[in-house]
Amino acid sequence: MPDEETLEESTLTPTQPEIQDPLLREILEENALQADPSQNTLEQPAPLPDPDEIVDCLVIGTGAGGAPLLARLAQAGLRVVALEAGARHDPKTEFATDEKAQNFLFWNDERLSAGQNPVAFGKNNSGIGYGGSTLHYTAYTPRAHRGDLTLHTEFGQGVDWPFGIEELEPYYEELEHFMGISGPTPYPWDPGRRKGYPLAPLPLNGAAQLMERACAKLGIKTSPAANAALSARYYQEGVGWREACTNRGFCQAGCSTGAKASMDVTFLPLAEQYGAEIRLGAYVTEIERDATGQVTAVVYEQDGRTVRQRCRNLFLCAGAIETPRLLLLNELALNSGQVGKHFMAHVGMQVWGTFPEDIRPYKGIPGGLISEDTHRPKDADFVGGYLLQSIGVMPVTFATQMVRQRKLWGQPLRDYMRDYNHIAGINVLGDCLPHADNFVELSAEKDARGVSKPRVHFTAQENEQRMNRHAERIMRQIWEAAGAKDIWAFERYAHIIGTARMGTSASEAVVDPNGRAFDVPNLYICDNSVFPSALSVNPALTIMALSLRTADKFLLQRKAAG
Amino acid sequence: MPHYPEGTVRALLETDLVTPATRAALEARLTAPTTYEPQFFDADTYRLLQAVAARIFPQPDRETPIALAPGVDARLLRGDADGWRYDSMPPDREAYRLGLGGINQAAEAKFQQPFTKLDEAQQDSIIELLAAAEAPGENWSQLPQDRFFEEMLAELTETYYAHPLAQEEIGYVGMADVPGWQRIGLGELEPREPEEVK
Repeated sequence: MPDEETLEESTLTPTQPEIQDPLLREILEENALQADPSQNTLEQPAPLPDPDEIVDCLVIGTGAGGAPLLARLAQAGLRVVALEAGARHDPKTEFATDEKAQNFLFWNDERLSAGQNPVAFGKNNSGIGYGGSTLHYTAYTPRAHRGDLTLHTEFGQGVDWPFGIEELEPYYEELEHFMGISGPTPYPWDPGRRKGYPLAPLPLNGAAQLMERACAKLGIKTSPAANAALSARYYQEGVGWREACTNRGFCQAGCSTGAKASMDVTFLPLAEQYGAEIRLGAYVTEIERDATGQVTAVVYEQDGRTVRQRCRNLFLCAGAIETPRLLLLNELALNSGQVGKHFMAHVGMQVWGTFPEDIRPYKGIPGGLISEDTHRPKDADFVGGYLLQSIGVMPVTFATQMVRQRKLWGQPLRDYMRDYNHIAGINVLGDCLPHADNFVELSAEKDARGVSKPRVHFTAQENEQRMNRHAERIMRQIWEAAGAKDIWAFERYAHIIGTARMGTSASEAVVDPNGRAFDVPNLYICDNSVFPSALSVNPALTIMALSLRTADKFLLQRKAAG
Repeated sequence: MPHYPEGTVRALLETDLVTPATRAALEARLTAPTTYEPQFFDADTYRLLQAVAARIFPQPDRETPIALAPGVDARLLRGDADGWRYDSMPPDREAYRLGLGGINQAAEAKFQQPFTKLDEAQQDSIIELLAAAEAPGENWSQLPQDRFFEEMLAELTETYYAHPLAQEEIGYVGMADVPGWQRIGLGELEPREPEEVK
């Protein structure tokens, strides 16, 4: 803990982080009465797991779904162990500011992408390592809107969530303050929030300024966006001071300064401070059950050894591809027939243009500016809505994506890329309706471990196509108003959602509204796979909110059971 | 179209504006040996890949062009994946074998010679057919040529623009980020960012 004097007045950081969750506060107080000084396992070499030990909670995955609940359960005094397939890195010394060198952050095991709009993985979607895909998320953290959770009620299409936004709001507040989210207060598209963002927004880069200028001409309201990167230094329990963002623009290939609130600089160290054990390089292959169908143990590969860890409860937080893959491989929780079904990916159309201005798109937080005027556009011919954001971009990512779309080669390719410093983009992030044709299955093709590769079917349906057309039209208008030349659009689909949906009925959903599997009472699933609908915003903040909520529901139920 | 002075990235790599990890990644590409013995492809197929890469990234301005074929050969040898592949495509090794073979079949069909024997204009006409998914050749019945072209183009592009000399060409100096960036708005440059050559 730093001295009081070193606290900067510009931050609202509490010196004593306040536990906001009443249940957790109560549990902590009870635990303090019977404090155990031998709990801190930090700095000790990882022992071979005791084959007889039964841990209270075993968590698979340390990303946005696994990390927050790992910390919450550890704080409640439970014996918790997390299994992470990847390694732990020291971002300050190991992360290069080089896109190709950072490929180790991505889940690079091959997935087969099928359908009319095959979804790109690797650098686009899933991650590996201590912190999961938050190591390379853009840190864009808008909250979901009330209407995102009630699409069916509002439009008669799509699916409602089994609870309303008020269930998530306390967690959004807690997360924004715990991680130090930078954003506008009041929030222009939700001005009635009880709590504002703890930090002021990050500065706008060239792409954001161009979009701001053009939207003002067109009467579209914009604002600096909410980003989980610090606009001022912030005190993080379990970590210490995290320094303000230096505008490296490299969020999507790994933050080397700790300014971005990935799980490795927030919830995971907190969890370890409270005694959670995180086993690295642990690749799960089997989930074992007893005759009653309860999970009894998980088998994983680590350093060439096969290890079995027994557990009382299992939390599966491996993301919307690996989670259903593990369930399908283990024939677990399949009674509803929904595992792997209703795969969704956000409408993520991008529009790029070349400007006379010097932009240098590698500087600043990539998603600097937002508009949510398109959440429910008046002229919409589709269900749901989308947000608009400006985008900066790194050269290799831009060039590879551009050639996939424009198929430039030869001298025209080199000539076009010479304009890199004059290029800026906008993209949308829009809802996607669940559809029976979009799903994950096991293919007959095996990976290097001998495990079936997942095949992911995705075809943008009528609603997504209508939203694409609407979004492309608006973005082209904005870029024309901003003075862009050589405008081109890139149809893409981002984020992996659905495949183990949450619901109120065991015949229609894999998990109940608390995240517990209907078929397996001691199995919880918490990641983007349980989303019943895709939402019109980036999913990370909502995954984290669900993670804290799932932990709280579990703790409540455990307490009630005595 | 903007041009930038030569030597910008190389000069920055000599300074403490670049972290050791970043420098290591970029210098490894700068100092890669100029000769490379293919280990995955046989010698003829490798020469074919080199010839195709030379038309996709023609570099008449460079005495020693940025080498693009070694990265493909080394990756296929290691069996590295990038997280996904089109379900309509065979595994990467098979795709490259079929695709490069298909390029030769197209060259034979159009000019009765292998691709490497064609002049540049003829080679470009074959690549044009491939890019338009109109190249003749029996291999294309087993491999969607638009997807093969897209995948090969993306891989060569990644290797090219990851190279410090290509980054100098487009005026990218984002690797020199130790002090962070304070001047990030439109038209705002820091002293280490190169001005365009007028």
